[in-house]
Amino acid sequence: MDTELDRISSLPGHVLDQILSVLPIRDAVRTSALSRKWRYQWSQIPQLVFDTQCASITSPDQTIVKHYLVNIIDNVLLLHNGPIYKFKLSHRDLLGVSDIDRWILHLSRGSTKEFVLEIWKGQRYKLPSCLFSFENLTHLELFNCLLKPPSAFKGFRNLKSLDLQHVTLAQEVFENLISSCALLERLTLMNFDGFTHLKINAPNLQFFDIGGIFDDVSFNNTSLLTLVSIGLYANVKNDRHVSRGSSSKLLRFFVNLPHLRRLEIQSYFIKYLAISKVPSRLPKPCMDLNYISIRINFNDFEENSAALCILKSCPNLQEIEMLGRPEEQADVEPQTGFWGDDQWKCLFGQLRLVKIVGISGIRSELDCIKFLLSNSPVLEQMTVKPASIEGGWELVKELLRFRRASTQAEVIYLEP
Amino acid sequence: MSEVDMAVIKPEMMKSYIWIQTMDGAIQQVEQEVAMFCPMICQEVIQKGMGSSKNCAISLPQRVSPAMLSLILDYCRFHQVAGRSNKERKSFDEKFVRMDTKRLCELTSAADSLQLKPLVDLTSRALARIIEGKTPEEIREIFHLPDDLTEEEKLEPLKNTTDDPRIRLLNRLYAKKRKELKEREKLKDVDAEEEHVDDRSVDDLLSFINGGDGDSKGIKTSKNKKKNRKRKDLQKCAPSNEAIETPKKESNAASSLCHNAEVDHELQSSLSEKLKLQDAAGEIFAPTVEFDDVDIDDEIDPALKEEIDREVEDFARILNSDWPERMQELLSLGQERRLTHLSVNGNGALKGHASMPSFPL
Repeated sequence: MDTELDRISSLPGHVLDQILSVLPIRDAVRTSALSRKWRYQWSQIPQLVFDTQCASITSPDQTIVKHYLVNIIDNVLLLHNGPIYKFKLSHRDLLGVSDIDRWILHLSRGSTKEFVLEIWKGQRYKLPSCLFSFENLTHLELFNCLLKPPSAFKGFRNLKSLDLQHVTLAQEVFENLISSCALLERLTLMNFDGFTHLKINAPNLQFFDIGGIFDDVSFNNTSLLTLVSIGLYANVKNDRHVSRGSSSKLLRFFVNLPHLRRLEIQSYFIKYLAISKVPSRLPKPCMDLNYISIRINFNDFEENSAALCILKSCPNLQEIEMLGRPEEQADVEPQTGFWGDDQWKCLFGQLRLVKIVGISGIRSELDCIKFLLSNSPVLEQMTVKPASIEGGWELVKELLRFRRASTQAEVIYLEP
Repeated sequence: MSEVDMAVIKPEMMKSYIWIQTMDGAIQQVEQEVAMFCPMICQEVIQKGMGSSKNCAISLPQRVSPAMLSLILDYCRFHQVAGRSNKERKSFDEKFVRMDTKRLCELTSAADSLQLKPLVDLTSRALARIIEGKTPEEIREIFHLPDDLTEEEKLEPLKNTTDDPRIRLLNRLYAKKRKELKEREKLKDVDAEEEHVDDRSVDDLLSFINGGDGDSKGIKTSKNKKKNRKRKDLQKCAPSNEAIETPKKESNAASSLCHNAEVDHELQSSLSEKLKLQDAAGEIFAPTVEFDDVDIDDEIDPALKEEIDREVEDFARILNSDWPERMQELLSLGQERRLTHLSVNGNGALKGHASMPSFPL
């Protein structure tokens, strides 16, 4: 009678795997006490996720916590029977202990495809060399780790996605890693140290997202790159004497990104791009670029020129976002007449949406808004959000006056 | 069928239909664009050219009953419309899976046989949500799972037929525990007078059955003691220690009582019994480690010690009350490997435990 009513156990194996994979690891393992059919069902699930929710123990003694977690993972790995395609370890209380080496060694004997390791606290965890022998790896995600691959390391042949945050690796290690993973499509890099030159040689790269402190970024053989988001977290001192001789960083940046679709210039990166001579326009327009976001100091002449140069070279922009850096704008003598100059005429034939955020109502900001409004015949919406309440009313008064090329355009003032 | 009606009423819509046959033999017409959302049907139409007329109706797999087909078609009908927002789809999905678990399982099975992966994902997640956070008993009830694990199997989620190093570890652990038990009794002889008699009987009991075993195992434990000095703190602070101690004592006696060459097996079962007491499969998540080679002889805190003592006394009392009869039974039945349930005669101390080490009865 029971077998007639028991519908779930007769589902095909891969479906049961799926159900068990969705469960937190604890519940999945507990199913082994259900019935004969379920006894070893969990041991074949292809993914193991150990995160803060799966096991928590509060104890003032870190050793107890560590032993508890290590015990759980040891036991699950021992009892597990089958390939482990995805392994994630991200527990708040587990520091970079040497047990992790042992688990990575165990995984390296199998065919793990996705490996995620997040060390929440403590110093950088040095990855064991056996990690670099994961042949089938397609996704690698590391947080707070130190990478030092063995000299024989030839790259992850199948790696498509790489996410490194708060990592330390040497310059040549980084370059080798990128260039040897030929299939790499996505690269995320946040808060790194040990290297300052970003030489990106990745023929299949499509998605590039970095934020950190670096001296130089150059793309080589990256014609498939469509999404780039770069944040330079350190203020670049614009040393005129040094930069005069060198070639324009702006030109070098765009020369190898012919098919760029989305570009985000965050933090101080526009300052980097403004180093040395900024042309009035790029030699080749970015025809595919349809979204751009720039964090800019509206009072800085170089930054404004760089931004204008980029905007003029992207005729097919559909969405623009300009974010002010109000903390800087107060210091410098306000620039005037930059954007308002009539010779900066350019047509944004596709521009539909503009967002201006964090402005304080100074002349160059208003000129920029005026410039955008008068050059976008199909604009549908512009939202303006000041950095603070002060001067809000003045800003609104000015906005009211501006001529708009698009009859459909809405200019919306958002409260700060 | 409503689809057929629609075809008659609005001929200008020119919807194409395909013929489908369910496992009960019934044939029906279904809008082509809806049905083609299922990869399996799509394959049949495109690769084999089936479904264009009643004669070559696509016959669906066994697992797709008419009721399930109807549900699946509802799903397809909603989702194959391109213009829907993610929010709409999500909202529909949430409402769609609200059904009893029996139908949910059937639907999963049907969707899988039609290779409709999004629906399989949806129903799998719904089933997982039902399973999550429930005890094995609750889950068995919901899904009508047979409770067909033998007591033994329930108690040992780990299958150890080979010479697993963990078994050796367990042996050492139990040997240590037995030694500790004996020593504790010896210590108590100094303090307590009333219990004196009881302890001695237990002690006698153990030595009577064990013969020379206890001593030889004792030697082993001291070696282990040195190795595991640094792991002492673990055992100390584990909250569920008391519960573990009790069954271990009993099982020690149990294993000694069973004249059994295969000591490994007994220890395993006694360990497993403890496992069951704390929810067998989830045991590996308990703070205390059975597999650890823990040095417990010296550093147990006083509260724990009292607990242990109490349990020992309780157990001793039970054994002594039943002992004469039991001895008879054991001696007459001889060496039986398989452990069966011990029926406890209303003794308070043992009542709390779901299952006990079994004596061959």
